Parts: sequence; C-alpha cells; structure tokens
Amino acid sequence: MGLEWRLAWRNIWRNSRRTALTLAATVFAVFLVVVFVAMAAGLHGKMIEDTVRVHSGHVQISGVGYLENRTLEQFLRLSPPVVQVLDSVPHLVAWAPRVVAFGLLSKESSTQGVALLGVDPKREPQVSTLSQRLVRGAFLPEGTQRGIVLGERLARNLGADPGDVLLLYSVAWTTEMAYELFTVTGVMRLPEPALDRKLAVLSLSDAQSFFVYGDRISEVAIRARNADDVPLLEKELARRLAASSPVPVEVHGWQEVMPELRQLIFLDDAGMYIMLAILVIVVAFGILNTLLMSVLERRRELGVLLALGLRPASLFRLVYLESLMLAAVGLAIGLALALPAVLLLQGHPIPLGGDVEAAARVFGMEPVVTFRLKPLNPLGSMATVFSVAALAAWLPARKASRARPVDALRGL
Amino acid sequence: MEALLAFLGALARASTWRMAGRNALRNPRRTGIVVSAVAVGLGGILVTMAINFGMVFEMVQAAIQTELGDLQVHHKGYDDRPGLEVRIQQSPARAQDWLRGVPGVRAWAPRLRSQGLVFSPRASVGIDLVAVDPSREARVSVLPHSLVEGAWLDGEPRRLVVGERLARRLRVAVGEKVVVSAQDARGEMTGEAFRVVGIFRTSSRELDEGAVFLRMEDGQRLLGVGSSFSELVMVAQPHADLEEIRAALAARLGGDLEVETWKELRPVLVAMIEVFDRMGWIVYVAVFVAMAFGIANVLLMAVYERIREIGILTAIGMPPGRLVASIGVESLCVTMVGVAAGLAIGLGGVWLLRDGIDLSAFGAGLTAYGIPLRIRPVIRASDLWIPLLVSLVTALLASLWPALRAVGIRPAEAFRHG
Repeated sequence: MGLEWRLAWRNIWRNSRRTALTLAATVFAVFLVVVFVAMAAGLHGKMIEDTVRVHSGHVQISGVGYLENRTLEQFLRLSPPVVQVLDSVPHLVAWAPRVVAFGLLSKESSTQGVALLGVDPKREPQVSTLSQRLVRGAFLPEGTQRGIVLGERLARNLGADPGDVLLLYSVAWTTEMAYELFTVTGVMRLPEPALDRKLAVLSLSDAQSFFVYGDRISEVAIRARNADDVPLLEKELARRLAASSPVPVEVHGWQEVMPELRQLIFLDDAGMYIMLAILVIVVAFGILNTLLMSVLERRRELGVLLALGLRPASLFRLVYLESLMLAAVGLAIGLALALPAVLLLQGHPIPLGGDVEAAARVFGMEPVVTFRLKPLNPLGSMATVFSVAALAAWLPARKASRARPVDALRGL
Repeated sequence: MEALLAFLGALARASTWRMAGRNALRNPRRTGIVVSAVAVGLGGILVTMAINFGMVFEMVQAAIQTELGDLQVHHKGYDDRPGLEVRIQQSPARAQDWLRGVPGVRAWAPRLRSQGLVFSPRASVGIDLVAVDPSREARVSVLPHSLVEGAWLDGEPRRLVVGERLARRLRVAVGEKVVVSAQDARGEMTGEAFRVVGIFRTSSRELDEGAVFLRMEDGQRLLGVGSSFSELVMVAQPHADLEEIRAALAARLGGDLEVETWKELRPVLVAMIEVFDRMGWIVYVAVFVAMAFGIANVLLMAVYERIREIGILTAIGMPPGRLVASIGVESLCVTMVGVAAGLAIGLGGVWLLRDGIDLSAFGAGLTAYGIPLRIRPVIRASDLWIPLLVSLVTALLASLWPALRAVGIRPAEAFRHG
C-alpha cells in the first residue's frame, strides 16, 4: 500500500507543467465555488435581516386568519398570560405590539393612501430599525399627541414636512368613518421603495383610539438574535401560547409572513447552483482529459508493470490514487486561497453603485455585497469538487487497468 | 516585430489552417473531450442565461403591458408628486389632435389616477383608483384581458373591476357592492357605491391587491375634476423607435406637458437589465477561464508529443512566428468547434423550452417582485457574441504557453528526446 502511495505521488510530478495546469483548474473551481456560495449566503442573510429588521420582525404573533386577510377584524389582546410567555421564552430578544391598518392622508388637496403602523414608541426601536431611519424631525417623541412619521417619498408626494398638520381619514373598527388631525413629527428614509411611498407610523395608543379599537392589537413583532434562531423560537412560542393564551393565536416566522422573500431566495440559489455545477463539470472534463493523456502516454510503462506481475486492480488503484491526490492538493490550495479571501470580505462588505444599487433596492436590499462563511460551505464545496474529480478519474483508471502488455510493447 | 509579421502572415495562409486542423485530429479522443467540455459548458450557460434573462424580460414586458405602456404623457411635475393635483387640464379627446401625424403609435388610452379607500360590509382597504376609457384601455393593456371572473367595464356607470387579492381581502364577489371613498379635487371627502363586475389577476401583486378600475366618467365625477385626466398611455407599433415618437409628440404638445418612455418612467427596469448584462459577462468569463486550463493542458500535451517533429521543423528553418501561429490556430479550431457545438446545444435547449417554464410550483409570492409565473427563455444577440469573443480570446491566451514552449524547443534537444 505504501508503495502505491509513493508511486502515485511521484507520477504526479513527472510532468510538472501538466500537473500545474490541472491543479490551477481545480484551485480555480474550488475558489469560485467557495466565494460564490459565501456571497449568496451573505446576500440572502442580509436580505432577510434587512427586510425583517425594517418592519416585519423575525416572528409575528397575530389573531387567527390575520395573515390571509390583514384587516382590523383579526386581532389579539396582550393578556397577562401572553405577556408572560413573551417575557420568558428563550431566544427572544425583544417584542413590540402593533396596530396595522389603512388610511388616506391628505394635506390641502393632495391625498395619498397609506399603510398605517401603530407602534409602542418605547418598544418598537428594540425590534425594528424604523426609528433609526429618520432623516428629519423626531420619532414620536414622548408626550406628543397624535404625531405621525412618514416615509420620505410619501412626505414628498404629500408636500409635507415636520410640523405640518395632516388629515387622516379611514374606517374605524366599528365601521364608522374616522377623521383626525395628525402632526408630522418626522420623516424616515426606508430602503424599500414601496414602503417609502406608503408607510406612516403613529403611536399605538393613537391608533387604538382612532380606530376605536380598545386594547386590541393586530400583531406582536418579535426580534430573535438572528434568522437561524427563528424555527426554534417559532416552535417554542407556539407551544407555550397554545397552553396559556386564553384565545387561539397564530405564530408565524418570517418565511410565512413574507413567502415571496423565501421563494426569491430559493430561485436565486437554484440559478447559482446551476451555474456552479456547469463550472465544476467543465473543470472535471479538464481533469479527465489530463489523466487520460497521462495514462495513454504511459502505455508502455503500464504494460511493463503488468508483465512484471502487477495486478490490474493495483494499477487501477495507482492511477486512481494519482487523481485523488491531485484533487486533494488542488482542494487544499483552493481552500487556502478562498478562506482568507472570504474571511477578509466578510469584514469588508463591497458597496454597490449606480444601476445595481437601484435594482438591489427593488428587492428590499441595502446595496452592499456581503459575504458569510457558513461551516457547511467549505465542507460542501470540498465534498462536491472531490467527488466530481473522483468520478472523472474513473475512466482513465479503468483504461490503465485494462492495458495489455503485448499491445503496450508492440505499440512503441 | 519580424516574428509578429511571420505570425500574421502565417495566419493568412490556408496551409496553416490545414495543418492545424490535421494536428487537432491526430488524437481524436483528446480533442473530443476538449470539444465536449467547451460544448457542454457553453450550452449549459447559454440555457441558464436565457432563462434568467427570460425572467427579466417578462418582468419588463409585464410592466409595460399592464401599467406603463411604451410612452406616457403627463403634466410637468407629476413624476415628483403623483396625485390628483397635477393633471392634464384638457379633455382626453384632445389626444387625437396631439397624435395626428405622429408615426408609430398603435393605440392610446387616457387614465385618471388618485388614491382612496374601498370598503365592503366586511373590511376596508386603501387602494389606487384608476379611471379608464374601457375600450381604449383594452387596446393598451393586457389587464382587461386578464379577468378570472366576471367581465371588463362596459358603458354602464358605477361599475368596478378589482384584483383577485383585493377581492379576497374585501371578501366580495362579482355582483356585490362596495363603497369607494376618496378626497376630491377641492379637498372634500366623497364616496359612492359601485358594483364589482370583474376580478382580474396579473403578475403584479401591487395591482392585484391595491388597484380598482372604473369608468373615466365615474372617476371624473367622483373626484370632481371636470374633464381633465392624469396620464395618456401609448403603445407603439412593433419595432417603432420610441425616441422618434417622443420627439414628434413633444413638438406637438404644449410646454406644460411632457412625454416619457417606459425607461424614464421606471428606470429600475433598465437597471435590472443592465445588472443581468454585467452578470452575463462575469459568468461567461468564469466558465471560459475554467475551460482555458483544459485547452492549455491539451495543447501542451500536443506540443510534448511533437517535440521531435517541431525540432525538425525548426531545424529546416520554420520561423518561430509560424510555429506560434500554427499552435494558436490549432487552439482556435478546437475551441471554435466546441463553441459551435455549445451554441447548437444552447439554442436547441432554448428551443425545447420555448413554451416556458412553469414557476407556479414555487408559489405565487414571486409576483410581489413582479416575477411572472411562466418564464420563456430569451436569447439575445449578446448571448452569442460575448461567448464568441470570450472564447476567441481564451483560445489564443490558452495557446500562448504551449506555443512559447514549442518555440523554446531546440533541435538538438528534440533529437535527443526522440
């Protein structure tokens, strides 16, 4: 066995140029796979965090049927047992109650339809980044009565600035018309254009009195440490709330609150993996060709080995070992280059500019390319490239084991 | 310099190509593997890119065909503050005069837009109010032809067509009444009851859950705007030059109106196309770099095999430029056969998928991003010339090392080698 390993290792370096080229191809493939997978992980992770943190939260609790209908009719109450569950469940970083509704906001003769979000000014900043996105004014300062914060584009469309008084008009929970004057306290810039054009934030208590909603709320938005904790948190919340909440409630992770985001990520991943698969296949063809050539070149030598009594199975192993060693060396160099690169990029996201920036915002992303190295990435990349290389080596190895001493000797 | 001249001269000679072609065929198995690597790689990428671009293309098409049209006329300032205040203060019928003598416009339709609330006995939702000329709208938009229930607007007053998602949220069916409420041009709240006559489904979630369509006359009365309107949507003849139409129309409009193409109305769509273009370059270059290693490897092998032969050629006075050219041409031949096969595979794949790929299995949520549920792959000219250009450069670069190695072979070394 030891002899075969030594022989294989020496054979690899007999034609150092060829080996260098084959190695380079493997290194290139490993490098690209690791970097691209890390980029997708970073991009998607950021997409999730960005979207979730702007507004929806990692997990939401709501009344039964709220997700499908999203009207005032589906509500829940923050009864003491519910609050107790929220305060005690592990992995939960913060929670905030909200009222979600529609309305028309008008200033003089201009009107805009708005998505209203009634928030608890103290709790909301712990869950969402809304309050950090102010560009003018303040976020519902304490003691303000009937203050409202507008998305930047919404403010522009209305021609409204902090201090202006707007008329809010909607239908209350009692199905009566509701009118009220609100003062703009601040303007926030939201990354997603659709949200920037539509969102208006007011205090929870104002929203409850405007909509004659009593102590009802639409949802509780919950922040987890990160998206990876969501499945666990979701399950635990559902279990505890089912046991202690006086009325049935629903618990939904971000994947259910925003199914479109999950599907977009899936589609994007699918496209990327297809591209990488093609790349790896191309490299595999290169490896196959090199090995085949090296076997054909050595026909004479292999024939002599067989004539001397080496068994075909050993020959197969010898050639197979060569290719696996080659692949292993390529993988090692590839990873040695890719891992530091990705770790470096992980700390230094690449900002995007121009057209790409605008396109990124449509999909609700900050225009930065971030990288994230998950442990599965180098392992998976290694396993994939290695098994493809092993597959590509099969044909040349078989060819070698079938060499016939007579042909080999006659051939040259 | 001399070497370069010899190189260029050799490229022009038919014998160089014949020799390179024969050399490539001396080891058919080896050449076959390189050719198939190039073919499979290029073919696969081509199909993937075509599907990707097909998605973008459908997104753009869907936006143009349901909302944007090819061009729109607005009163100046509407882009900055879209709303009821900024209107075209003329009757929609005037469009006939504007468009007289403007070539290339196939159809036009006026719209009046504002925002309001719609409520059923069960729920209320904020919506975009779009008042249209029913028969003209049907010629500029696919929305009137995308009904899943009921019928499109006709001449009857106080009728409403709503999106499928909106109908679900309001829990109304065709034939039932809803109240539409909005602020009119004087700033007063007004409301009227409408009967839902049709329910549509498009690939835009924004439209499906947030827009209602009504007759122009109903909209103008409800909003108290007389006979004025918000925008004129135009659809151009196929292959018409939008810039030409814009210039011709702008010359006929008053100074307070402006014409814009869909590219200006929704710059993000243009940005998306450009992002995909750039992505195409990255992908093609990455795959061809991967191929370059394989190509270089094979040529290097070929040079080694022929050390003796090359030595003889050098000894009898073959200029190095010609030697480099013959290896470069061999590389080109092998690569180009692969590229041709790859293009054939790619185009064949696209042809097989011409009926489109059904994405509805992934769920309807994609429509939130305007991604349609059926994607037909689209091949563009750049999908053909970028790989051709990249492969040309790749083939020549990959032949560089082997060629230089060949030039470095000294006759004495070659004879010893044999």
